[in-house]
Amino acid sequence: MSNFKDSTGLQIINKWMLEKAQAPFPFQMQTWQRYANGYSGLVVAPTGFGKTFSVFLAVVIDYLNHPENYPKGLKLLWISPLRSLAKDLAKAMTQAVDEIGLDWSVQVRNGDTPTSIRRKQERLMPDVLLTTPETMHLLFSMKKNKRFFKGVKCVAIDEWHELLGNKRGVLTELAISQLRHYSPKLQIWGITATIGNLEEAKNVLLPYPDLKITQVKAKQKKKIDIISVLPDEIEVLPWAGHLGKSMVDKILPIIEANTTTLIFTNTRGQSELWYQLLLNANPELAGLLAIHHGSIDKKLRNWIEDSISSGYLKAVVCTSSLDLGVDFKPVDCVIQIGSAKGIARFMQRAGRSGHSPYERSKIYFIPTHSLELVEVSALKEAVKQHQIEAREPMVLTYDVLVQFMVTLAVGMGFDSDKLFNRIKAIHAFHYITEDDWQWCLHFITKGGKTLHSYEEFHKVIKDEDGLYRVKSRRISMLHRMNIGAIVSEAMLMVKFFFGGYIGMIEEFFISKLKPGDNFILAGRVLELVQIKDMKVLVRRSKAKKAVTPSWLGGRLPLTSHLSHFMRLKLSDALEPGRLEKELRFLNPLISRQDKHSHIPKADEFLVELIETKDGYHLFMYPFEGRLVHEVFSALMAYRISKLKPLTFTIAMNDYGFELLSDQPIPISEDNISELLSKDNLMDDVIASINASEMASRKFRDIAVISGLVVQSQPGTRKNNKSLQSSSGLIFRVLEDYEPDNLLLRQAYTEVFNQQLEEARLQAAFDRISKSKIILKRAKSFTPLSFPLKVDSLRGTMSNENLDKRIQRIKAQAFKID
Amino acid sequence: MVIIEEVIKVEDEFLSLTNQRAIHWKRKEALILSDVHIGKTAHFRKHGIPMPDGILQNDLERLKALIIHFKVKQLLIVGDLFHAEVNADMTTFKLWIEQFEDLKIVLIKGNHDRLSKQLLKDFKIEVETELQILPFVFVHEHDDSHNNSFTISGHTHPGISIKGKGKQRLKLPCYQLSSNQIILPAFSLFTGLNTRSQPKDSICYAFTDSSIFKF
Repeated sequence: MSNFKDSTGLQIINKWMLEKAQAPFPFQMQTWQRYANGYSGLVVAPTGFGKTFSVFLAVVIDYLNHPENYPKGLKLLWISPLRSLAKDLAKAMTQAVDEIGLDWSVQVRNGDTPTSIRRKQERLMPDVLLTTPETMHLLFSMKKNKRFFKGVKCVAIDEWHELLGNKRGVLTELAISQLRHYSPKLQIWGITATIGNLEEAKNVLLPYPDLKITQVKAKQKKKIDIISVLPDEIEVLPWAGHLGKSMVDKILPIIEANTTTLIFTNTRGQSELWYQLLLNANPELAGLLAIHHGSIDKKLRNWIEDSISSGYLKAVVCTSSLDLGVDFKPVDCVIQIGSAKGIARFMQRAGRSGHSPYERSKIYFIPTHSLELVEVSALKEAVKQHQIEAREPMVLTYDVLVQFMVTLAVGMGFDSDKLFNRIKAIHAFHYITEDDWQWCLHFITKGGKTLHSYEEFHKVIKDEDGLYRVKSRRISMLHRMNIGAIVSEAMLMVKFFFGGYIGMIEEFFISKLKPGDNFILAGRVLELVQIKDMKVLVRRSKAKKAVTPSWLGGRLPLTSHLSHFMRLKLSDALEPGRLEKELRFLNPLISRQDKHSHIPKADEFLVELIETKDGYHLFMYPFEGRLVHEVFSALMAYRISKLKPLTFTIAMNDYGFELLSDQPIPISEDNISELLSKDNLMDDVIASINASEMASRKFRDIAVISGLVVQSQPGTRKNNKSLQSSSGLIFRVLEDYEPDNLLLRQAYTEVFNQQLEEARLQAAFDRISKSKIILKRAKSFTPLSFPLKVDSLRGTMSNENLDKRIQRIKAQAFKID
Repeated sequence: MVIIEEVIKVEDEFLSLTNQRAIHWKRKEALILSDVHIGKTAHFRKHGIPMPDGILQNDLERLKALIIHFKVKQLLIVGDLFHAEVNADMTTFKLWIEQFEDLKIVLIKGNHDRLSKQLLKDFKIEVETELQILPFVFVHEHDDSHNNSFTISGHTHPGISIKGKGKQRLKLPCYQLSSNQIILPAFSLFTGLNTRSQPKDSICYAFTDSSIFKF
């Protein structure tokens, strides 16, 4: 390999770096060399160590060495999950090629790109194009799109770990496959942060046996300081949100002491609340404090991001919208408000501060209720042990496949057999059968396998040359609008009455407001004037108080890694180590729990029976995250109601769940271990959950992705009203008329894999069966049960039949809305 | 299919609300229904969204069963008989309608009914924008101009959301009855429920496959 070390390309780059008083990291050098030798691979590096330049410069060096191999047009495709990432990456890359003296053009193309620039790109592609998986698919839906990609030498997938676990990952896998079809010698490089399943991540990205594959890992590790902020006094009955105000005074000095602080909250609603709280507490922050989340106008977000980079802002309250993305140099401090729900997410957020290679990251943890302090303690332990969650890749997502097939049919058309062979090579569709494939073909050509062939259904047609194509312009148009795998809630645009765009808001929320009502968005108090053409018209309000929008979704469950560490920490909590200040602080709460009930040790499982005037409560604490608790609780309700028919109201959080009944719950020391038995687990689960109800919820995304539901575009006049239907309605219809529909089956599979988290549930019952079960009775709420009582999502579970239930609800003092 | 009836007395007339989304008016030997949305499934298919046509078949069979059960001579449809344009579902409907030689069908035009007059004539459907059969006025959508008469209308696809103790919640289709109007539920099962709009001081008759409940 000595000739690579001596190559002109490398010398130019080394010289360029030297001028900037830099030297390549070993992993960068390694990537450059492997790339030159024709490898594809995965680069594993923490942010802030120049992972971008590992792959980008590899292509530059190879070009400098062998310009004759690179035809005019597109050379490097850079796919990243975030739009906001692209802009600054393009800036950095452009600066680099300019300084090196290359005449390359680096451009961005995504949903924000103006039409004029897009048209220009279609005439002549830039040398480097930064884009998103969705935009790739949109390009594939264009006629003659092959010409764009014929000369592409390398595709880089940035932040692969962010794409891996979801359907956008499948979109990416499909895009790579299509690119390989156009440019067979393509080299594929993924860039990822450390995750629990790197080997799998590599295999999903690079399933092709003809590739030379390698993995390059940076040895550098980011150092993280985790500082928990303790409230002045402890609430022995903790509940979420309660700590808010008192903690504001603790946050202000932290903002003061640092250059730029990112304040992470978990939901958009929370970020609005904290923004107001901070501004009210210190009005001098006005203008120096900004708010950033996914529902805020793009232009405003861009301005905020620029202002962070330039150091103009003192602090930004944000959501996961700033989890990823460009390195904001001035940020030297991060504050996390409330649980981060996972170790990887927490570390990633911490990593947003102290960005240059050898700086330390600093993160403050602000609990929103005192029990979350156990979580910090658990996080510290996990970080110490380098335990990070895995991202499970999705497989057999027929909705994405069907969408892709129509995308190709809208674009250049496809040959069924050839496409099937390419699809089978992709990780997500390794196990697709011939029958499944035929079903998908039928679905897009005739509307489904078991249906009659409808004359009027002409979505995709087999053309005379044997290729499948979409002929109707209207269907092409509808399809292009629908491309992608992110399904958002129905959102409306919020605009000032006299012009000026503020952001987006969920229809669900706004439909509950009347004209004249006040609400908060983007940190402003607004008065609703009217809703017209999918737009919410507002004016500035002088009101002091207003409702904060609730955005649905965004409630991530606690990961199993983190919950494992939480159980351990809670078990130690009665005798905390000398340095564990969080646990020491929690002592009054822990003691109260121990006095009135019990603190479960690592090998114990706590069950509490509490009777109050609301009724009879059963609490269990598996610490397995919200989703598993949803299933767990339904299962318990089912097993109990076999002893005695009861209707329960179910509540859950990440720590445990509650079953509430208006009649005594027949549980005692004699039958509790049988109720928690792992025998017949999955059978009982299937019998207990309303699988159809859960699948119907999952079906929402599937229906949109596969084109069964037309999403209305916010702000557009045309909302395809005659085609509006709810996914719930379609789900019901398909269950009645076409039960073997693959998309329905997919909904059920997703319920089992994601909602039920079957593997995790099994493991939990295994653990419980080996644990000692502690049953405690109490007359009032205990510290562990209280947050559940107050802050929870609720569901009902009933074994009474529908008519009886309505009779009984009627007999109670019912309320109608 | 189980037909459950709840007889109510309004304006000195006896009307029988059924759990099959239609009202039987015995004195006039009429069945009153609304929002059948024929052609909706085909309209979806035409735009690349596959919907089984069993939905329409099922709706029509249910209607047939009601016609036979109550031995009615006329159908009063208070709007939205058709969903959109002329499409394959019309053929199905035409075949269905030919079974009933002596059945009189009156359509009170709804916002969706945009089919040509000629076509409706072929179907032998009488079309009105508003119809008075004392003591009632039949319209598609009730508005303030009707406040002095008792209207029977549809359009809103009324539903009710019932809340019980412990945040139990259920959504059911319903009839809405107030001092000057009745709003019918949508006849077609391929329709959503609107639980938000409700006339002042109205009573809801919600129903399931086997019961009717008054709220």
